[in-house]
Amino acid sequence: MAPRISATGIHKNYGAVEALRGVSLDVRPGEIHAVCGDNGAGKSTLIKILAGVEQPDRGEIAIDGRAVRFDSPTAALKAGLATIHQDLAVAPDMAIYQNIFMGAELTRSVLGLRLLDKARMRKESLGYMAQLNDSITDMNAKVNALSGGQRQAVAICRALRWNASVVILDEPTAALGVRETEQVLQLVRSLKKAGKTVILISHAMQDVAALADRVTILRTGRNQVTLEGDLSADALAHYILSGDTRH
Amino acid sequence: MNAKQIVETYGTFLAGVALFLFLLGFAPNFASAANLLNVLKQVSFLSILAFGFTFALIASELDLSFANVCSLSAVVIGFLISTEVDWPLAVAAGVTTGIVAGLLNGFLVTVLKVPSLISTLGTASIANGLAFMITGGVAFVGRWDADFLFLGRGKVGVVPVIILFTLAILAAALILSTQTRTGVHIQATGENEEAARRSGINTRGCKVLGLTLSGLAAGLTAVFLVANLSSAAPQMAGDFMLNGIAATLLGMTMFTPAKPNILGSFVGALIIVMLSNGLVLLGAQYYIQDIMLGIIIIASVAVSASVLKRAAFAL
Repeated sequence: MAPRISATGIHKNYGAVEALRGVSLDVRPGEIHAVCGDNGAGKSTLIKILAGVEQPDRGEIAIDGRAVRFDSPTAALKAGLATIHQDLAVAPDMAIYQNIFMGAELTRSVLGLRLLDKARMRKESLGYMAQLNDSITDMNAKVNALSGGQRQAVAICRALRWNASVVILDEPTAALGVRETEQVLQLVRSLKKAGKTVILISHAMQDVAALADRVTILRTGRNQVTLEGDLSADALAHYILSGDTRH
Repeated sequence: MNAKQIVETYGTFLAGVALFLFLLGFAPNFASAANLLNVLKQVSFLSILAFGFTFALIASELDLSFANVCSLSAVVIGFLISTEVDWPLAVAAGVTTGIVAGLLNGFLVTVLKVPSLISTLGTASIANGLAFMITGGVAFVGRWDADFLFLGRGKVGVVPVIILFTLAILAAALILSTQTRTGVHIQATGENEEAARRSGINTRGCKVLGLTLSGLAAGLTAVFLVANLSSAAPQMAGDFMLNGIAATLLGMTMFTPAKPNILGSFVGALIIVMLSNGLVLLGAQYYIQDIMLGIIIIASVAVSASVLKRAAFAL
């Protein structure tokens, strides 16, 4: 199966610091692919490059076999890659539907004026939300009023609204409680069920073990190993701690 | 909506209605047609300025220059008319002055990265100096074109045109702020600039626009002020500075609590002008108004901040 997204030989330096020294990543369509590694392994840099926030010094990125280059986050979005950063980038004091449609608001023509079509935005938001979490029904509610897991759902709805085929989740369960974490795991499974390809960056080995079809472990800016099959949190931790490169 | 939410959303508005009824009953001459028209005229000047300040505040920027920019625009209009330039051209120049000042504030904030609290103070001082430079310290007065004065003094039937203009500007500002993509983009920029930027919103443009709308409002108010008084002087809009800020902050205590909003600013302007007018009619000393204004400014922020705090604790 051709990879949905592949990064090959990615190099990135920040001054004298070599953050990535030839990292490669192949993500198959419809899989949940986790990227793990200790601090400084290069996870964040790799994600920034895939999200179009940073550009690689060397190396190639291809989507469905076609080479692409992301000069900006917008370019990555247009290619179907939506990244949900750890801070979620929501406006807490605005309504759920306003957050989901931020920057891409729907309008209708009233007496020749292009006015917001709030009813349609609320309805479509509800449709996106129903795919993920059917307990959130009031699209007028402010994001303030939501729990951490529910906020994640709002951010993921935005990715769905962008019609992204690949969703990159950066530490989605960091700082969440047990129940909230379970909600987010459920969200990720819903994404997979909806046919999305998911790249998951996480420190939480039990979350990775529960979700990932495959895991790529990075170590000091290089590929350490890519694992497939039944993965336990303990096994993952062993790989990260030992630097073991055998599958 | 429970009782608490109703108080939070409409409390200030209802207090305004109560104030109106109280003044109708107890302030001598408050209810006279001449006085009520005078109140509405003052509300016109104040509310247009407050709309501008509100737009800047929605983008999370403070425009402390609007009153001095308004005076400068007025002086530009007065200068041009008194040198026998056609009045429509003078009006256009006055409005343009406001827009240019707003663009300058936008440039200072988004390109030079000077916080608006500081940059608009600088602009205010520059505008003040320019106004004195143009007038040489005296006021422009004279017999001006009747068509021009109609903008400030004319009536359609019994209704002063200035009130009609104000209502039209209120409607336009309401639609822009709540019903258009541009309006929500300004709001998103003010709420979370980083989130807005990552969603593809031109956040710099939104900040420049918010500050420029404030300049535009100052220029428009100058037209009505000069036409109403048939004179133009530096500092003529100076009193609107604190009043305009107070109207906007008072407006943040109603309709969409803790958020600057156009309708709130309009009602805020109504309450502040009624209160000032009523205090004079009730025989209060002139300095009471300043004290009252200070209390309104502080109390409004304290009240809307408590809403903010509660929102934060609800996490």
